[in-house]
Amino acid sequence: MWKKLIGWLVLAIIILIYLSIGVYQVGPSEVALIKTFGKYTHSTGPGIHFHLPYPFQSHVIVDVETIRKEEIGFRTIESYGKISYRTVNEEALMLTGDGNIISVEAAVQYRIKDPVKFAFNVINGKELVRFTTESVLRERIAVRTIDDVLTVERDKIALETAEKVQEILDSYDSGILINKVYLQEVAPPDQVVAAFDDVNNAKQDKERFINEATKYANDVIPKAQGQAEKILREAEAYAQKKILEAQGETQRFLSVLKEYEIAPEITKKRLILEKLQSVFSSTKNIFVLDDSGTIKLLNVNDLIGGDTK
Amino acid sequence: MKAKIITISVILLIVIIFLTLSMFVVDQTQQAVVLRFGQIVNTYSTPGIHFRTPFVDNVVKFEKRILLYDIEPEKIITLDKKTLIVDTYALWKIVDAKKFIETMKTIGLAESRIDDIVYSNIRNVFAKHSFDEIISDKRESFLKEVTTLSRADLENFGIEIVDVRVKHADLPSENVNAVYERMKAERYSIAAQIRAEGQKEAQKIRAEADKNVTVILAQAQSQAEKIRGDGEASATRIYALAYQTNPEFFELWRSLSAYDTILNNGTVIFGKDLEIFKYIFEVK
Repeated sequence: MWKKLIGWLVLAIIILIYLSIGVYQVGPSEVALIKTFGKYTHSTGPGIHFHLPYPFQSHVIVDVETIRKEEIGFRTIESYGKISYRTVNEEALMLTGDGNIISVEAAVQYRIKDPVKFAFNVINGKELVRFTTESVLRERIAVRTIDDVLTVERDKIALETAEKVQEILDSYDSGILINKVYLQEVAPPDQVVAAFDDVNNAKQDKERFINEATKYANDVIPKAQGQAEKILREAEAYAQKKILEAQGETQRFLSVLKEYEIAPEITKKRLILEKLQSVFSSTKNIFVLDDSGTIKLLNVNDLIGGDTK
Repeated sequence: MKAKIITISVILLIVIIFLTLSMFVVDQTQQAVVLRFGQIVNTYSTPGIHFRTPFVDNVVKFEKRILLYDIEPEKIITLDKKTLIVDTYALWKIVDAKKFIETMKTIGLAESRIDDIVYSNIRNVFAKHSFDEIISDKRESFLKEVTTLSRADLENFGIEIVDVRVKHADLPSENVNAVYERMKAERYSIAAQIRAEGQKEAQKIRAEADKNVTVILAQAQSQAEKIRGDGEASATRIYALAYQTNPEFFELWRSLSAYDTILNNGTVIFGKDLEIFKYIFEVK
């Protein structure tokens, strides 16, 4: 009786253990694909589930929400919680359309949009995304000049790459959705960085030359304008002076003329004598040629009839 | 009673064993070939449960998904005799398990065949085009050509080439330095040009400023001359108007004022009949 009971119990435990193989758990971002005799039948969402144990049913779990990332041209290194980046030159260096070499680092973010396709159509989804992105990115870089890649075309390259990679992955029926391609550091290779920097320096130098010249112009032109004002004012002053002199002199002339007209002869003589007095007072010797041609010495004091010294 | 249970159990066990031996499951990701003494008797490409004869049939399963094969980078000479290191990869899948097992047997062997064929096709196609064309966006159409050619070559092996793509197309290291040197030279020449342009602009600004200075001063000078002239003209007019009122007196007045400067401080010899002495000798 006891033996029988233990026998049943053992059988029950064996069956329970067997059935427990069919219990599985699906995480919040995951989906489980259930295969019955190897053929996909349905999907289940997050939670604890049960399916018939081997060999009847099996499951594959696919993470469909989590954003996955592949890095091209660089690697993120995490050590002691610190994140640093290392460039991988073999991947980063790319040929541009004008025969130059440029270092491009990019990250591609993707997730699974169709878990069934992803699980059953492709084997190595991670590598597939990586290889495709690398390939397309290089193609997109190769049709542009180095200057365009460095400057204005960055966004376009990332956008075009994402679109093209999506197109290719769709053609494989891979069930992968490319979220976005992010271009990270796009720079000239280390060996030529100095030369590229020199171009930037040259631009600064150019600005400096122009600024210095502008400074010179800003200095000399106002000074010249000032000088021009001075010249004009001087000329105006001269002109005014001439006019005023003329007015003064003529005024004086007219005043004297008025008096002169009252008694012309007397005034005339007076004026002459006064003049002689003032003029010859400082003259030492005056020689006058006579009609005979001999030189006579005139005594000024005698001439004007008075002592002026 | 006990014997009956044992008999049933034994029969059940035998049935289970037989079933496990004769049944096999083909997964969603797989396809299977059933071999009987090395001969293919059946192929299954759909998933599900299938049967075979136990002990006689052997089941070989193959991958049905797309496989990725990374081909080693190789040097390729382009039409214009330039060397390019091309790193390609091929995506392929087994589409005909029967043909595949007849010709390839294993995936490893298949990969080496794919390597030979794809690489040879890439070399053939790329060798017909110049370096610049391969680097340009025409590359895609070349790769399509390679894919088509390789697909045709591998059709008979039960393999379908899904895609052939170039991961890298780089210059060999001995050329890279030459490129760097050229890039440097190019940049330095651009820098020199920019600086020279800066100097040109600066010279222009300076020259313009100098010109403006000269013009401003010359204009001022010219204006000044005119102002002086106007002043002198006005003065002359004033004099003329005033003196005109009595020319006789003016003559006396002007002569007298002239003496101030003419006879100032020195020895002078005159003729007696000199006009300016007219008055002096008359007085005497």
